Amino acid sequence: MPARVIVITSGKGGVGKTTSTANIAAALAKFGKKVVAVDADVGLRNLDVIMGLENRVVFNFIDVIEQTCKLNQALVKDKRVPGLYLLPAAQTRTKDAVNPEQMIALCEELKPEFDFILLDCPAGIEGGFKNAAAGAEEALVVTTPEIPAVRDADRIIGMLESMGKSPIRLIINRLRPNMVQDGDMLAKDDILDVLSIDLIGVVPEDESVTRLFKYS
Amino acid sequence: MKILSILARLKKTEAQIKIERTHYGIKFYLPENVSEDDLLKTLAGIPAGVYKLPDNEGLALDFQSRKCSGKLVLKLFAGLIWRSGIKIIAWLSSDDDTRKLFKLSGFNTIEPAQEINLQTAPVLNENADESENNNYPGWKILYNSLRSGQRIETEGDVLLWGHLNAGAEISAGGSVIVAGKMHGIVHAGAFGREDVFIWAGTFETPQVRIANKLCYADKQSTKGWLKSVLITLEAGTPLIREDKFIKPRTEDK
Repeated sequence: MPARVIVITSGKGGVGKTTSTANIAAALAKFGKKVVAVDADVGLRNLDVIMGLENRVVFNFIDVIEQTCKLNQALVKDKRVPGLYLLPAAQTRTKDAVNPEQMIALCEELKPEFDFILLDCPAGIEGGFKNAAAGAEEALVVTTPEIPAVRDADRIIGMLESMGKSPIRLIINRLRPNMVQDGDMLAKDDILDVLSIDLIGVVPEDESVTRLFKYS
Repeated sequence: MKILSILARLKKTEAQIKIERTHYGIKFYLPENVSEDDLLKTLAGIPAGVYKLPDNEGLALDFQSRKCSGKLVLKLFAGLIWRSGIKIIAWLSSDDDTRKLFKLSGFNTIEPAQEINLQTAPVLNENADESENNNYPGWKILYNSLRSGQRIETEGDVLLWGHLNAGAEISAGGSVIVAGKMHGIVHAGAFGREDVFIWAGTFETPQVRIANKLCYADKQSTKGWLKSVLITLEAGTPLIREDKFIKPRTEDK
């Protein structure tokens, strides 16, 4: 069965794309799938830190594209979770270092090796987003229950639809049920009413995640 | 449409400008393959009488597929528009870069539509996502929601069955109906018509525009917030009123 290529995106920064990518990748791997998490945020890579693999990064996917190294040399295997791999981004380059055609070619090269390819997309709607989305067939849109994040998610969904990505599904991150109950935070249904796409999960706010980031 | 003959004097250069009488005034079809200098010379040769139009009429410049530079725009202002005092109603082009330049310059890039004859109003096409009736160019029906960043720009009326999300925009020469929630910006009568209306299923937008009037709204001070509203211009002022002309359904009573 060919690999599913999924871009994880949001439009707005800081909503939890990278954290979601890392956790979904780890969860799928624990279910026995072979998964690679690709950090598509060239120049501002963080996925290696979130996955606790930063000290093992030697090459990155720009090196693969530029044929400085082979794909297997750039892939970082997570020793704690069998089947989980990271393909890091270059920190010393900019988003212009890659184009959509190269990203598609990279995903095609990864497909025979994996069950899932998760692309951690940078914030914004410019080149970085277009590169990451180009390689994917499906999309996961992450939003927090805040109006600016929902509006940016709406913009991204419109762009993904026009690019022909399907299905496009939603994750609502950092929801505080108490605040929703008090009417101080957007409720799940308010968000779905605006975004009109399938919801795959709601992640409640968890302070332990913030605490973990202090120690990477 | 009556087509005026090309003036003999213009034949001194290679450039020939077709001049058409329209419902909004006149339209110049500017030649595509002549130099800017020849074009300007030809325009300078047009007699002043051509520009004498009623106050409510003006001129549309159609550049067709010609690439127009910012410099040419400035030269047109100096050599044609300011000299003749003519009102430019539309800057038309089929070239993407040129149209972008005009939009960035704040020019209207849509040719004004004919008045709509309500006696022969088009029938809704319920199967299409977007329908455009050929009898009334720009008359649009949209069966989905408009998302943030999406914009509909048309000469006629717009009927949106879904929501108009925050960050989405509709600019229509005619009236606009948003059947769902109206969070985004609507400009009805974008080319100056004042006999237009905006109807919103649920009114939640911070701003509406009708003709050349702009109206701010908010939850605290606007009557009709979160309700169905009809917005019209009354004595030159936008008036938002709660929609009382729809009877409640039996089960709502």
